[in-house]
Amino acid sequence: MSCQTMPDRAPYPAAEVMSAGAPTEVRIVAFLCNWCSYAGADKTGMNQLPVPAELSVVRVMCSGRVEPTLILETFQKGADGVMVLACHPGDCHYKEGNLRAFCRAELLERMMPQLGVNPARFYFDYVSAAEAEKFSQVTNDFVASIRALAGTDSER
Amino acid sequence: MNHQPKTAIILCTCSGIISEKIDWEKVRTQLAGHPDKPVVTTDELACGADNLEKLAAWLKEQGPERVVVAACSPREHERTFRNLLTAVGINPYYLQMINVREQVAWVTADPDQATRKAARLITAALQRVGHHQPLMERHVPVRTDVAVIGAGPAGIQAALTLARAGRIVTLIEKEPFFGGMPVRFEELFPNLECGPCLLEPGMGELLHGPESEHIKLLTLTEVTEVKGSFGNWQLTLRQQPRYINPELCIGCMICATVCPVRRENRWNCGGELAAVDGPFVGALPNLPHVDAGHCLKLNGRECGACLAECPVEGALDFNDTIRDSVVEVGAIIVATGAEELPVSPPVFAGRDNVFSAYAFERLLAMTGPSGGELVKGDGSAPASLAIVQCAGSFDDVVTYCSGTCCQAALKYAHISAAKREGLTVTRLIREQVVAGVNAARLFNHDHSHVIRYRGLGDLTVAETPNGRVITCASSGTQIPADMIVLCGPTVPSQGTAQTARLLELGVDDAGFIAPIHALSGSFLSPLKGIYLAGTCRGPGDIREAFASGTAAAGVALSELVEGRDLAVDPQVAVVDVEQCAGCKSCIRVCPYKAISWNEVAKTADVSDILCRGCGTCVAVCPAGAITARGFSRAMLRAEIEGVLS
Repeated sequence: MSCQTMPDRAPYPAAEVMSAGAPTEVRIVAFLCNWCSYAGADKTGMNQLPVPAELSVVRVMCSGRVEPTLILETFQKGADGVMVLACHPGDCHYKEGNLRAFCRAELLERMMPQLGVNPARFYFDYVSAAEAEKFSQVTNDFVASIRALAGTDSER
Repeated sequence: MNHQPKTAIILCTCSGIISEKIDWEKVRTQLAGHPDKPVVTTDELACGADNLEKLAAWLKEQGPERVVVAACSPREHERTFRNLLTAVGINPYYLQMINVREQVAWVTADPDQATRKAARLITAALQRVGHHQPLMERHVPVRTDVAVIGAGPAGIQAALTLARAGRIVTLIEKEPFFGGMPVRFEELFPNLECGPCLLEPGMGELLHGPESEHIKLLTLTEVTEVKGSFGNWQLTLRQQPRYINPELCIGCMICATVCPVRRENRWNCGGELAAVDGPFVGALPNLPHVDAGHCLKLNGRECGACLAECPVEGALDFNDTIRDSVVEVGAIIVATGAEELPVSPPVFAGRDNVFSAYAFERLLAMTGPSGGELVKGDGSAPASLAIVQCAGSFDDVVTYCSGTCCQAALKYAHISAAKREGLTVTRLIREQVVAGVNAARLFNHDHSHVIRYRGLGDLTVAETPNGRVITCASSGTQIPADMIVLCGPTVPSQGTAQTARLLELGVDDAGFIAPIHALSGSFLSPLKGIYLAGTCRGPGDIREAFASGTAAAGVALSELVEGRDLAVDPQVAVVDVEQCAGCKSCIRVCPYKAISWNEVAKTADVSDILCRGCGTCVAVCPAGAITARGFSRAMLRAEIEGVLS
């Protein structure tokens, strides 16, 4: 496959524009692979670390199962943000599903502006079964950034 | 969907742990107004044995078509509740679990928010189960036959162990004879035991003993393709022609004596072989083989010397051809070994009487090119021997210790001194590793000079009137060196590299096959049904080879048991042949080679045994022709709509 080199994803950029109004109810869908990220989310629970209540987890067996159209449909159905969390490169339970997910995420991000969706509303990352703190961190950061986008985005 | 199946919802308080955050009463009130009219029960601890009985009774009474359980992680209790459904006669795949403990109650500070989130997830599950299909776990018998790749000591030991347990073994060897490296070593560290003597009883047993009925040894054979998974591997083999009929040949080797052609004997690192010949005396199986590159007859020239003299009609078979075959097994044991990296540092290049460890091993052997005489190339006796250990190890290319070259060097020093009285022996070392009780025997009787040097760049060589001298630049030490042995690093064999690629096994930094765990699982590959033995896992000695061969066979025996079926998860991908456009995208992305091309129907076809249900093919299919059972597009859409409603 073409995406053999797997750069670490840059941390999610904090929203530059803060929301002017009161906290807005946002709706976030997170697709988690069963083996690493979902297990990481479970571990977050065991460690009693905070996860935003706005986040709804959809369990899939592999991040490679989540096709771009499903993500776009999720936006179409009213999600304010979509996350796809995968196993770390080299740790995929299915050998390379996460690498395919990464490639698709890269392409989707480039395509999103043309479809009228702010790419900042989409987030792809790797979360292992042990990374409870990272799961808590990325979900909170993402929800905060989506909340900050509210009212600044004209396309939604 | 017109008909909404009647759904039962089980809300677990987890002994108050969940209900501390989630107000189930509030959720029940909300659900009472749900248009699907689900039946709801709250349980203190749904996974408890007594509670499961109560829930079974409740489900029987309610007679739902679908069940939603809001409790803990499906990773923990999905099987428990699937069993509950099965027990009351509901298809276990009509279940949907909501993880309200780990992923809601324990991560949400505000009870109101936690309750709202739980209700939202339950709504989504209610919508999702409407799309669930009844699925059945399939049971297939596993094959208990085993393929062993590589017939060195580890592979032989694995094959014999399996055969003694009654298993059918295909032992695959790419060379024309078997026994691996140590069968070519006349004496083994530390007791100077004879390598062929140590190995031949097992080799004989394998060829002629009662176990031989269970073992099919294929020489000159390589694996060209591997498909399948645990319990059902399919190996495609390619056997090169030997041009000898093993059933008829009596191994008299008259053919070799009359053959007019001579070629290099690469096994002996010296001497010659006829075009039809055996590699060295005592090589097993006791059959010659014809080198197609050198044989005159096979190259269109007039010759038939061997045919004319062979006492058995039909033993030589020049019509022999490449044989492709397929072998189906439950497990594969990889025992493809390691080899010595040939090093030729510029300082030694072009000089005579410089040997690799392997070449020196053969020089010392009675069956070697000099008949076991320690002589220089011109036939004269050496006065001095320098053994350069770690030659190329601990440097930029090979950073690790080979683990066996100290042993070999001590052995060479001992044997050489015994063969030539008065021989000056020097061992040049960078590090010295000779652990173990037995190792002390030779170590404590070592009469060689030991010089520490700093890598090959530290050494210079000069020919002087008094013989050849190596100078160690860092210390200025001069070492007499009529003969030089360079103990090169141990690296993965070509067969190991090729097999790792074929089986898609990961390798470590040095290229050896990476086990599932370096300490606790060094005989296990990450793929179930593929086990590792011998030096394909890294440098090791013959003791390690025997032990790991036995270990790998033991694991295969314990995991593949006659009569114990393999349960096939029904949550696999299926192709709708009506929708399939035949683009083959899915075949390319499947990590398990589970999708094949149906040439007749011109569609893709998923094997449920090989499919692991990752869904990568579902995501890549542009026609939407593939469904991931249990995680179909309809189910995910319903779930997404549910959480967003």
